[in-house]
Amino acid sequence: MLEQIEQTKQQFLSDLDAAEDAAALERVRVAYLARKGYLAQLFDELKNVPVAEKPTIGKALNELRTLATRRFEERKQALIQSGVETTSAEDLTLPGRPLPLGTKHPITRTIEEIRSIFTWMGFTVATGPEVETDYYNFESLNFPPDHPARDMQDTFFITKDILLRTHTSPVQIRVMERQNPPVRVIIPGRVFRNEAVSARSHVIFHQIEGLYVDTGVTFSELKGTLVSFAKQFYGSGVKYKFRPTFFPFTEPSADMYISCFLCGGKGCRVCKQAGWLEILGSGMVHPNVLRSGGYNPETVSGYAFGMGIERIAMLRYGIDDIRLFFENDLRFLSQF
Amino acid sequence: MLISHQWLSDYVDVRLGPQKLAEELSMLGLEVAKVEDQRKRFKDFVVGEVVEKQKHPNADRLSICTVNVGKEMLQIICGAPNVEFGQKVPVALVGATIPQNQHDPEGCPFVLTPVKIRGVESKGMICSEYELGLGDDADGILVLDSSAKVGMPLAKHFGQTDVLYELEITANRGDWLSYFGVAREVAALTNRRMHKPKVRLRESATQTASVANVKILDRARCPRYSARVLRGVRVGPSPEWMQSRLRSVGLRPINNIVDTTNYVMLETGQPLHAFDYDTLAGHAIVVKTAAEGETFTTLDGNERTLTSDVLMICDAERSVAVAGVMGGMNSEISDATTNVLLESACFNPSAVRRAARLLGLSTDASQRFERGTDIDMTIYALDRVAELLQNIAGAEVLKGCIDVYPKKRKLLKLKLRTSRFNEILGMSLTQAQIKSYLNRLELQCSSSGKDAVLVVIPTFRNDLHAEIDLIEEVARMHGYDNIETALRGEVQFSTESASVSIDDELRPLCIGAGFHEILTNSLVDGRTAALAGGNAIQILNPVSVDMAFLRTTLIPGALQVVRRNYSYGQKDLRLFEIGNVFRVEGAGTIRSFDSVHQEERLLLLMTGNLMPPLYSVEQRKVDFFDLKGVVVSLLSKFSLDKGCFISYDRHSPLSERNLSIEINGTYVGLLGSIKKSVLQHFEIEEDVFVCELSTHVLKKHWKRERTFRPLPRFPVVVRDLAFSVGTTVPQAAVEQAIWESGGPMLAKVTLFDVFTGAQVGEGKKSLAYSIEFQPTKRTLTVHDVDMLVVQIVEQVKRACGATLRSS
Repeated sequence: MLEQIEQTKQQFLSDLDAAEDAAALERVRVAYLARKGYLAQLFDELKNVPVAEKPTIGKALNELRTLATRRFEERKQALIQSGVETTSAEDLTLPGRPLPLGTKHPITRTIEEIRSIFTWMGFTVATGPEVETDYYNFESLNFPPDHPARDMQDTFFITKDILLRTHTSPVQIRVMERQNPPVRVIIPGRVFRNEAVSARSHVIFHQIEGLYVDTGVTFSELKGTLVSFAKQFYGSGVKYKFRPTFFPFTEPSADMYISCFLCGGKGCRVCKQAGWLEILGSGMVHPNVLRSGGYNPETVSGYAFGMGIERIAMLRYGIDDIRLFFENDLRFLSQF
Repeated sequence: MLISHQWLSDYVDVRLGPQKLAEELSMLGLEVAKVEDQRKRFKDFVVGEVVEKQKHPNADRLSICTVNVGKEMLQIICGAPNVEFGQKVPVALVGATIPQNQHDPEGCPFVLTPVKIRGVESKGMICSEYELGLGDDADGILVLDSSAKVGMPLAKHFGQTDVLYELEITANRGDWLSYFGVAREVAALTNRRMHKPKVRLRESATQTASVANVKILDRARCPRYSARVLRGVRVGPSPEWMQSRLRSVGLRPINNIVDTTNYVMLETGQPLHAFDYDTLAGHAIVVKTAAEGETFTTLDGNERTLTSDVLMICDAERSVAVAGVMGGMNSEISDATTNVLLESACFNPSAVRRAARLLGLSTDASQRFERGTDIDMTIYALDRVAELLQNIAGAEVLKGCIDVYPKKRKLLKLKLRTSRFNEILGMSLTQAQIKSYLNRLELQCSSSGKDAVLVVIPTFRNDLHAEIDLIEEVARMHGYDNIETALRGEVQFSTESASVSIDDELRPLCIGAGFHEILTNSLVDGRTAALAGGNAIQILNPVSVDMAFLRTTLIPGALQVVRRNYSYGQKDLRLFEIGNVFRVEGAGTIRSFDSVHQEERLLLLMTGNLMPPLYSVEQRKVDFFDLKGVVVSLLSKFSLDKGCFISYDRHSPLSERNLSIEINGTYVGLLGSIKKSVLQHFEIEEDVFVCELSTHVLKKHWKRERTFRPLPRFPVVVRDLAFSVGTTVPQAAVEQAIWESGGPMLAKVTLFDVFTGAQVGEGKKSLAYSIEFQPTKRTLTVHDVDMLVVQIVEQVKRACGATLRSS
C-alpha cells in the first residue's frame, strides 16, 4: 500500500510538471484530486487495510493529499504568473443574466439637470399646489380681471375662482408670503392649459421657474445668471440674445434665445431656419407682484424666469411629439 | 396681424430692408413672426394663353390645351369646365409649388411634376383661384384679363411687389394693432417721425347734430361716442387700390362703406361701425346696457341671448349693435343704403371683453377695444372715413361731428427716476440718454429735479401706468443686448435649511428595483373617475369628455400604460409614478379652496413575468408577495421598519386582497391585486399588483438621521425550526410568537419554507424558520441556544397550537 502511495505521488508530480496549460492542469486535477480521482480511490481502500497499519497508511495518505493539493496550487499559481490561462473550458460567451434596472422619465431627468445647475448657484427648491385659486394664478401676478393677458393662458376652471394652475408662477407669491427676502428659489412642477392635444401641445406639461428677490437685484444679474445656466446646460460655446416681450408679472420682460445647438445658428429644421431657439421667458419681478408677496418694491427688487420642460427635453433629445412623454411606451422610456 | 410694407410706407419712411426691419422690430419687442416677400410668391407661375383646346380622347370632362407661356408651347390637360380657347390664364410650370391642392381634404400644397393623364402627357397646370391661394373658388380656372401679357411672371401680373410682415402683438399693446402704432415703432427705431395723413373734407351746410342725436346712458362703459352722418352714398365695390390693400392683409372686400371703415380701423386702430341711417328709429343712438334675456341678431346672422352685463348700441326703439363687438342685422349696410351714420367710440376694455366672451365672439373691433383704444382718435378716424367716402362713393358729409364726451380724460403724468432705472437694470444711463429714448417714442418729457424725468403719457399708450413701464420702454430702446451681464460676487446660499424632497430618495430606489418611471395625465374621463370612486373634482370647461375629471388615484393611469404596452406585446412591466391626486374634501361640492384636497402619491405596479426568459432561470409570474417584498425593502430604506401590513377589509373599488400599510399607526396606503372586472375594463389579461402610498405621510415618518451601531464582536448563531400549524393560522402570528419569546438576542427571523401535504397532514401546514441570535456580551454556548429555542417552541405552541416538526 505504501508503495502504491509513493508511486501515485511520483506519477502525480510528473504529470503535474508536464501540465503546461489550463486544460492539462484541469485533467490532472480530475485524475488525482477530484471526488473519484486516484487519491479518493486510495482513501477508499483504507477501509480494507488491517487495523494495525491504518495509522501509518492513513498518515501517509494525508501527507500525500496535503502535498498534492499544495503542489497543484503552486503549479496553478506558476501557470497564472506565467500568463497561461488556467480556467476550465466553459463557454464564456453565454449571455450574462441582466439585472433589470428601471429608468427615470425624461421629464424628471431634465428637471433634475436644470434644478441641479440652479442649486449650485444657491437656489433652493420650492413647490406648490396644482389646483390653485384665481388669486394666486392670475390676480396676484398682475393679471387684472377681464384683461386680454388672460388669453395668453387658456385655463381649466373648477369653480369661478378655483382652477388648474396654468404656470408655476403662483408659487412665487406663496414663497414670498411665507419668507422674508432674500428669496432664491427654483420651482419645478406640473401645469395645465386648456388646449387641443397635438404633437406640439398637451393639456399637461411641466415648467421650472426661478425667483430671486433681494436688495439691489438687477436685470444685469438676471442676464448673468441665465447666461451661466445656458452655458452650463447647452455648452460654453452657446450664443444668446434677449428680446423684449410682455408678461404681466415681470417688467422689463425678456425672452431668451440661444443659438441652435443642432445647426450652430446656420438654420435647420429644429430652429425652423431661424438659427435661434427660444428657451425661456424672464424679467424683473413687477412691483405689483412684489406687493402681492408683501414686499416693498422700493426697497427690494428681483428677477424671475421660467421655462417649459417638455420643449427643452424635445429639443435636447430630438423628440418630435409631446404626447410620447405621457403615453409611457416602454420602448420610449427605456431610451433614457 | 399682417402689415404691408408699402402701406406702412404711407406713414413712415422705413429705410430698412424687410429682413433687417423684421429683426430690429423683434429685438424691440414687436415680434415679426414671418416675413413674406410677395415678389418671391408664385415662383414658376406665368401668364399663359390657351391657343388650342381639344377634347381628351379617353375622358369626357378633360380637355387637352396647348398653352403659350411665352418661351414655349405647353400641352396641359385641364379639367375645368370654363377653360376656353383664347383665354389668358395663370399657368403653373413644372416644379412650381401649388399653394393649395383642391383634391386634398386639407388643401396641402404640392409640387407640380409632368404627368400622364389617361394616356396623354400634361406639362403644367392651369390654376383656379383656390389653387393659387387667392380665394375659395375651386369650380373653375381663374381667367385673367385679356390684356394680361403672355409669359409675364404671375406675381408681377397681380402687381404683387409688396412685403408682408406677420406680427405677434403682445396683450398689452393695443396700439400695435394699427398702422399708426407700428409706424410709430418704426419711427422710434430709425429715429424719425411718423406722419398721419392730413384729412381734407368738404362739409355740406346741414349740421350733423340736426339730423341725429346720441345719448350715453352708461358713461363708465362708454366714455366717448362720436358720430357723423353721410348722405347720398353710392354703395358699390371699393376702388381696386383699397381692395388690394385689404386683401393683402387678409380682409375680404365687401363694399365701399364697410371696406372704408375697415381700412381706417387698420390705419388708426379705431374700430368704426356704419349704420344704415334710415333704419335707425328716431335717427337716434342710445348707449345702454342690454335687458336681461334680450335676444339680438348680430351681423353674422346668429341670434344671441344677452345679459345685463352687455353694453348695447340702440336707436330710439331697439338694439342695433353689441357695443364694441359686432353690429346687428337690423341696421346693416345694404346695396340700397344711401344714408349712413358712422360710429367712432371708445368703450371700456373689460366691458367689451366680457361681452365678447359671453357671446363667444372675437372680432377685429373687440380685439382692439379689449386692449384699449386711443380715446382721442375718434374724431380723426370719423373724418378720415368721411373723406374717403366722399372721394370714392360721392358721399355728402354733413357739417360737424356729434361728439358726446362727458368727462374729458386727463393725461397721465409719470415720474421716472434715473437712479431707479439704473438700480433695476444694473446700468448707468444719464438723464439725457433716458430723455432721448423717451422722445423717440413720442413720449414728451421734462426734467423734474436732477434725478427724475416727468413724462406725459399720450392717449395712444394705454399700457403705460407706472414708472416700471417707462423703465421697460427705455431698456428696450437701449437694447437688452447692450446691457452687461453680471453675477453677484459671492454665491449666497439660502439661509433656509434645504428641505430635501423624499421623491429624490424614492426615485433611485424604485429605478434600482427595476421599475420604470411613468408620468400620466392628471385628467381622466368620467367613467374612470367613477370606477376609482371617491369625490372626484370635475372640470367646468374640459377640453374633451376624456379629460373632464381630476384623478383621485394614480392606479387607472398606470393601468392605461399597461394596456398601451400590451398592445405591442410588452407584458412584463414594473412601473412607478410620483404624482398628485385630488378629491373634494368631505362630501359634496367645492365650497372653497379649502375643500380641495390634493396630495402626492407614489404608485408601484408589477405584472407579468418576474424575469425575462433566460437560460437556467426558472420562469414564473410575479405575485402579490413580490410587490410586498419591494415595499418592505423600500420602507426599510427610510428607516420605516415600523411599517406594518394590516389586512384590509374595507371596500376598495379597484383592488382586492388588499393590505393597508401603516407606519406608527398612521395609514400610508394600500397594497393589492387589481380586480378582474377592472382588468377587463382595461383589457388586461394578466394579474396586476399595485401599491399606492402617500409620500407626505412617508416623509413625515422618514428618519433621516442615522446613528452608527458598533459591529457585533461575537458570531451569530442560527437555528432552523419547522412548525406544523393549522392552515388558518396566519404566519404573522407564528412569527410574532417567536419574537415575543426569543429574548433580547433574537436578531432575525426568516421564513424559508412553507408547504402543505401528506407529510404535515390534513388541515395543517408547515412553516420553517431560520432564526438568528446575535450575542452582545459573550459567545453563546449550545446550551444557551437550546434554552432559547425551548422558550420559543413553548410560546409558539401556546399561542398558535403549533407542534415542532424538526429543529
